[in-house]
Amino acid sequence: MVGRYPDWNVLDEQEHWDETTRRVVLSRLHDVPERSFFDEREAATLTAFCDVLLAQDKEPRIPVLAYIDEKLAGGVGDGWQYYDLPGDGEVWKIVARGLDEEAQRNAFDSFAAAALELRTGIVHRFGQGELHGGAWESVNVARAFRVVVRYACQAFYSHPWAWTEIGFGGPAYPRGYGAFGAPHMGERESWEGNEAFHVDPVKDTQERGIE
Amino acid sequence: MTPSFLHKGSFAMPKDNDSPFLLDKHKRGLQNLHRMARYRDEDVVDLVVVGAGAGGGVLAQRLARKGWKVVVLEKGPFWDPDRDWVSDEKGAGQAGLYWTDNRIISGNDPIEMGKNNSGQGVGGSMTHFAGYTPRLHPSDFEVKTRDGVAVDWPLSYEDLKESFERVERELPVAGEDWPWGDPHTYTHNPHPISGAASVAWEGARRYGIEMRVGPVAITNGVFGNRPHCIYRGFCLEGCKVNAKASPLVTHFPDAIEFGCEIRAGCMVTRVELDDATGRASGVVYVQDGEEHLQRADAVAVCGYAIETPRLLLNSACRRHPDGLGNNSDQVGRYVMVQGATQVAARFQELLRMYKAPPPEVSSEQFYETDEDRGFARGFSIQTISPLPIGWAEHVAAEGHWGQSMREYMRDYNHWTVLGILAEFLPQPENRVTLGDEKDQNGMPIPHFNYNRCANDKAIVDYARGILTEIWDGAGAEDTLTIDRYAHLVGGARMGFSPDDSVVDSSQRVWGVENLFVVDGSVLPTQGSANPALAIMALADRCASLLDRKAA
Repeated sequence: MVGRYPDWNVLDEQEHWDETTRRVVLSRLHDVPERSFFDEREAATLTAFCDVLLAQDKEPRIPVLAYIDEKLAGGVGDGWQYYDLPGDGEVWKIVARGLDEEAQRNAFDSFAAAALELRTGIVHRFGQGELHGGAWESVNVARAFRVVVRYACQAFYSHPWAWTEIGFGGPAYPRGYGAFGAPHMGERESWEGNEAFHVDPVKDTQERGIE
Repeated sequence: MTPSFLHKGSFAMPKDNDSPFLLDKHKRGLQNLHRMARYRDEDVVDLVVVGAGAGGGVLAQRLARKGWKVVVLEKGPFWDPDRDWVSDEKGAGQAGLYWTDNRIISGNDPIEMGKNNSGQGVGGSMTHFAGYTPRLHPSDFEVKTRDGVAVDWPLSYEDLKESFERVERELPVAGEDWPWGDPHTYTHNPHPISGAASVAWEGARRYGIEMRVGPVAITNGVFGNRPHCIYRGFCLEGCKVNAKASPLVTHFPDAIEFGCEIRAGCMVTRVELDDATGRASGVVYVQDGEEHLQRADAVAVCGYAIETPRLLLNSACRRHPDGLGNNSDQVGRYVMVQGATQVAARFQELLRMYKAPPPEVSSEQFYETDEDRGFARGFSIQTISPLPIGWAEHVAAEGHWGQSMREYMRDYNHWTVLGILAEFLPQPENRVTLGDEKDQNGMPIPHFNYNRCANDKAIVDYARGILTEIWDGAGAEDTLTIDRYAHLVGGARMGFSPDDSVVDSSQRVWGVENLFVVDGSVLPTQGSANPALAIMALADRCASLLDRKAA
């Protein structure tokens, strides 16, 4: 995953990280958890869902669902539950059921088997809270979307590949950061990546209609 | 005249707290644990403290120094930052820094908990607070008199002033001379500021808003054996440097030296009352699945705005059938959060907001009531710098996902964020109650209901507009807004009588003469200040009142 920093790979810096951090971060690369919370069908549906949600359209993909599965299997949530939603694990299972039902209404066997355009349309309506009937009747749909987006973002943006993509300098203990602020505006540490990007993304997203 | 120890850059240390010297220069964990006192459950200690956070930490240290036998019971772990903490957003949660036991949230404006406002472990939520430690303003203590809203405090700013100063020296707080509220100075110089904060500073200046660097409880210089901040940016994940203050490093090393025991992994489920005398006789706690009773001469509940009311309510007994301090149905009411809307702005320069502490510069220019604005009270403005997961939450809040989220995320290094802290007013229905469902210790799961009132909404709408105008004036190319809430106070407020409050001005629970609440839940109102300093200052004052009484 290369973003705008072609010479930058946060993993090149790992020898400068403290041992505890290095162990925790590198385990995300090497120890992808086995599925234990979702069944096979749920996992297929939700993997396809997370791919749409995070625009992961080709390999290598960050295996976000594996981390979500691991967290839900561990039974420790984030510390709150909306009065009109069940626990986070149950929310995810209801979402899997609801997504499949939407696909089936459009003559596909499952969400994973649906055409990309349909999948994207379903996720769009999910984000707007505009899915009704079947599984969706048991939850506040817009809030359920917030819950799953939170889990997906946490799984994705905790992965060092994503840090490399966005040019994040990553863990900096014990060496710290030194090049910042006046008179260092726009400067970088000797080891940080530089941006090589010639399209203004603000204009670009507007022109491509993907805002 | 300013006393000499208050001069900036002075390395004069607080006289009655050796914590910074009891730490090691190269190891972050506490070095005197091997000589920590151990009491037995059946020992009647002078004071048992429930919760090792901002309130409990200061209280325990003060009274241990005065010779009290103190036991602190803490639900979470005893941290060793070298071993337990990581430079990683997700890893901080996995390490257990946040209070993740379930809480049901409801109302028109349900408040998300966990990492946002609730901590566990020795040091409490301060282990993952950003570091801002502003003082309350004198006006905060009399908002009813001045502005006709909420309630006055049963004490004044002057009653807390010395405590503010004492705690600021111990943390220590770094910042510029402070022009707002009661003008004051800080012991450590202001930190250098990042590109992200300088853009905010310049934008505010052009708009006619003054900002100041700080105030943050982060060392800017060597402080005893605590090193200088290294600007790694992971304040909210636990400071691995020992530069950012929390009771773990600011008060417990000294408390241990004076015979205080901190017993981690102990969840207190009830305060026990002697039915004959009506006095608290100790607390029931669960450690490794086993129930214990720690006996004590006095009990201080320091569990914060959700757990303190929960514990008082769960301690119902014959004399107090609705819970301790709750004979007038006051426990759990008037919980407050602050409106913490953030507006992010995009600039052409690379700002890399992950560098330097997330809290850097702030303004209290809008803190006080201005009738022309159409609402009572006000807000403060502060910079914050989300790391990637926090930034993704910010982007998602405007409904972005898929390609558009990925693109905003790739643009991370061009963004900077200003946030507000808006003073929300106390309301009786914003409250903690006990639900029907029980947790692993057989204790009812708390239920927390929140609705903003019209004044709360008016402040946030106005403040959001100001932030957006600052960015427009600064030439931002794009902005992104997230409406959110921060901090928790109230729930066991102090007042003038049992009819309007849970504790009196000395933080004693009405109706139980040896039971105290020493945490943020006693705040009757909250101002637009981050609450950590006020909680510590109140604990400092409470400790001197208690010790005077005992003498």
